[in-house]
Amino acid sequence: MSNQDLATVAPLIAAILAATAVIVVDLIRPGMRTPPLIVALAGLAIVAGATLLTGANPGDAFGGAYRVDALTTFLDLLFVAIIAFTLLFAPDYLAARELPMAEFAAVLIFAMSGAMLISASMDLLVLFLGLELMVLPGYLLAGFAKRDALSTEGAIKYFLLGSFSSAIFLFGLAFIWGLTGSTRVEAVAGSLAGIVAGTAPLSPGLAMGLAFLTTGVAFKIAAVPFHYWTPDAYQGSPTPVTGYLSVGPKVGAFALILRLFVGALGPLHDDWVVVVVVLATITMTLGNFVAITQDNVKRMLAYSSIAHTGYMLVGLAAWASPNSQIHGLEGLLYYGAAYSFMNLGAFAVVTALQRRRGVTSGIDTFAGLARLEPGLAILMTLFLLSLTGIPPTAGFFAKAYVILAAVEAGGPTALLAVIAVLNAAVAAFYYLRVVVYMFMRDPKGEPVPLEKSPILQVGLAAAAVLTIVLGLFPGPLLEVVAGAAKALVS
Amino acid sequence: MDLGGVPIISAVTFAPLVGALIVAAIPRENTPAIRWAALGTALVTFVLSLFLLVGVDPGASGFSLVEQVDWIPAFGVQYKVGVDGLSAVLVVLTTTLTWISILASFGPIRERVKEYMVSFLILEVGLVGVFVALDLFLFYVFWEVVLVPMYLIIGIWGGSNRIYATIKFVLYTLVGSLLMLVAILATAYSYQSAMGTWAHAFDFEYLRSFAGTIGFASGLQVFAFLAFFLAFAIKVPMFPFHTWLPDAHVEAPTAGSVILAAIMLKLGAYGFIRFALPLFPDAAHTFAVPIIVLSLVAIIYGAIVALVQPDLKKLIAYSSVSHMGFVTLGIFIFQPQGLQGAILQMVNHGLITGALFLLVGVVYERTHDRTIAKMGGLSLRTPVYAAAFGFFVFASAGLPGLSGFVGEFLVLVGAFAASPWYAAIATVCMILAAGYLLWMFQRIFTGELSEFLTGLGSHLTDIRPVELVTLVPLGTLVVVFGLFPGLVLTLIQGSVDTTLASVAAGHGLALQPWMH
Repeated sequence: MSNQDLATVAPLIAAILAATAVIVVDLIRPGMRTPPLIVALAGLAIVAGATLLTGANPGDAFGGAYRVDALTTFLDLLFVAIIAFTLLFAPDYLAARELPMAEFAAVLIFAMSGAMLISASMDLLVLFLGLELMVLPGYLLAGFAKRDALSTEGAIKYFLLGSFSSAIFLFGLAFIWGLTGSTRVEAVAGSLAGIVAGTAPLSPGLAMGLAFLTTGVAFKIAAVPFHYWTPDAYQGSPTPVTGYLSVGPKVGAFALILRLFVGALGPLHDDWVVVVVVLATITMTLGNFVAITQDNVKRMLAYSSIAHTGYMLVGLAAWASPNSQIHGLEGLLYYGAAYSFMNLGAFAVVTALQRRRGVTSGIDTFAGLARLEPGLAILMTLFLLSLTGIPPTAGFFAKAYVILAAVEAGGPTALLAVIAVLNAAVAAFYYLRVVVYMFMRDPKGEPVPLEKSPILQVGLAAAAVLTIVLGLFPGPLLEVVAGAAKALVS
Repeated sequence: MDLGGVPIISAVTFAPLVGALIVAAIPRENTPAIRWAALGTALVTFVLSLFLLVGVDPGASGFSLVEQVDWIPAFGVQYKVGVDGLSAVLVVLTTTLTWISILASFGPIRERVKEYMVSFLILEVGLVGVFVALDLFLFYVFWEVVLVPMYLIIGIWGGSNRIYATIKFVLYTLVGSLLMLVAILATAYSYQSAMGTWAHAFDFEYLRSFAGTIGFASGLQVFAFLAFFLAFAIKVPMFPFHTWLPDAHVEAPTAGSVILAAIMLKLGAYGFIRFALPLFPDAAHTFAVPIIVLSLVAIIYGAIVALVQPDLKKLIAYSSVSHMGFVTLGIFIFQPQGLQGAILQMVNHGLITGALFLLVGVVYERTHDRTIAKMGGLSLRTPVYAAAFGFFVFASAGLPGLSGFVGEFLVLVGAFAASPWYAAIATVCMILAAGYLLWMFQRIFTGELSEFLTGLGSHLTDIRPVELVTLVPLGTLVVVFGLFPGLVLTLIQGSVDTTLASVAAGHGLALQPWMH
């Protein structure tokens, strides 16, 4: 290990140190809420700074197992933003329920370091390590309200299915390793390219490996039919955790897909793109249609997040020509960012409403919100419109981008474009239903003024600004994702 | 006219947005300030929009006052706006009806006035934007911006069944417009493949000249035209996509109905003329006959259904279906008189139906009922109101000398040139229209004062001056355009010629057998 290696992994080290610092602060001043939060946010700022610095000098470390390129930088900054938003949105909710703050922050930052490891790994084993480091804290977080039966139930389901899918995934990795003789992404790709070109023998084991890997990853991104854990895990978890779970591990798993499927398994894309087309279709459609029937907003958002997985898969499915592939990947990355901000924003509003104990996330909670809390109602409307894909919001541009890539790809993938927009119309129904409750129904019971901490307001404002700016001026972020996609396919 | 480099179109488009922000900043309790700020904004926008009429070059085949800024350079998407005679006329129609609608809302809207006025001003941004956008991506953005404020206006300030109506309205519109988004992207991509660059791939002027010279592939034309058709046909609304309209109209507050009928229905017709015909001329020829048939069905069906409506607003809503059938008929016969008549009819329908909805609002304010059967003898108590109503009823029925006549007459002339049968069928409708309108007028205003109206006692007052103020400009324009239709026709001459020239280049496509 050289100094150069250390410099390259500096952001990761900073993240782990930040998480440790949060725990240490909690040891010194147990039970205090503000100090760990400040340390955590400062730590995230340092991680972001380190990411930008190392991003300026892209390169490999540890003999090529770890790579910093434009994709790593983009994804790491996105992970930092996701964790920062979660930390801004959570304190009110946690304080009202006497749930610990320091553990929450530390666990989240550990999860982030796992996601960061994924985004940089060029070795299948490191990839798996990163994945586990990312999802294990997620199980903890899902069961964070340990006295709540629903939370515990959700956490156990999440843990069991998560471990199961990790095992399947690992099994698939073993096949690929056995058949290609390497765990290095580039060596695997080279070996597979030889098989595709016909210079090396094709083995049935390869199909097995591909099937196991696809299944394992489909669990992680909650693609239909491997989505059954999400609604329970999401509904049972404390709301700020649900917001994080619906975004963080999902974007992390997509990072894994980019490194594994586009990187290592790229030569086999003719074989797996077909599967992705099918997965995207059923994931969008089922997610949306089941979301229609939900009366609990958290559960509705859980199903809608399944649908959004489907839209992101459209970007991945658009691999027919080099041009459509790169646009698809750019669209996928743009979608990931836009989805993170709008979905976290929507969850933040739910969190704000649930500041008082005993307030459920049922749709009734939203009745008459426009009279009681006009600001929150307008923000929620913005996030929901963005999730629907109405311009001029980030969600609209992201959808237009993946759809454009699908149109470019032509063939059956172009049909995906039509399926995607029809799904957006279905989604409009249940997203706008919340707007109906907020604006067109009368409030239930006595209105109680909501106290909103400044930190929550800052977070909400930032999410709203990002949702609008990424829709109105997509240019700058487009350049960033274009650089990231280029780094991946070159 | 040189306006000294002032971005006048952007000023017209975004003035209401500035006004909306100002209104949003006024404290909620200060209702009068909110109302007057909104009205002031709408009037300023109206005055600004008049410069478009002065600045536009009526004979030109291109666009005037064009403003152009790169928006998303990676895909050649621009903020590009400009006007020709057609869009200038429709922008002024929009700005006129918006201030009238806002003024007409002073009385009826008493709750959540601030949100209402903000919604209305944002609605105006979207409507004006649709008429001036010269970039397909930008056009789509404005097209969708229209949706949300109208959704709120119907859903919050509407009648008892408003939530059903507003959701139906949104879902219908979204299905059409989202498919149009795919078609827009596919069109731009097709241009990009042919030219090898994304530059100007969404630029309407480049796309139109591409369509006129090289032409889009027939497969793309068929798909894109059908997707555009669905979006526009739902908006117009054409039979059989019209079922959202009566619900939306009945539930919407008065001013919402006015804008819905007068402007929003024109978005679809405008889309046909501006985008669908010039970009996909071959597909337009291929599908012209089925669309003409649907238009004729709409003309007759709308009129017959209007005949039996018990609800005043529903009656006018169905009459809109019938009148808008004339517009689509005029567009798709590809004749100069037909297209002139269609555009004139768009303007007239905006003025006349807008006024009729305002008038229905006046009586509803006093009676809280719109059932025709309960009315009777109203002219005994409200003579001025009856006269105003009668004026617009005759205008709607196409009385010569008023503007409604000229538009329908021109469409019929064009239809006759295309096929006497079209003209014959459409003429039947003019008789039916006279039937349902005059019968409605007779049942409401003549005879003895009905029991229901007697019971209202002194609540049943005649029309107030402020209500007349909203009607007088519309009435004046109806008379002026009836006597001097040339005022509009000269303005739109360039647009008509350009559109027809681009369609004339097209020819029907040999469709695959399964498409027959």
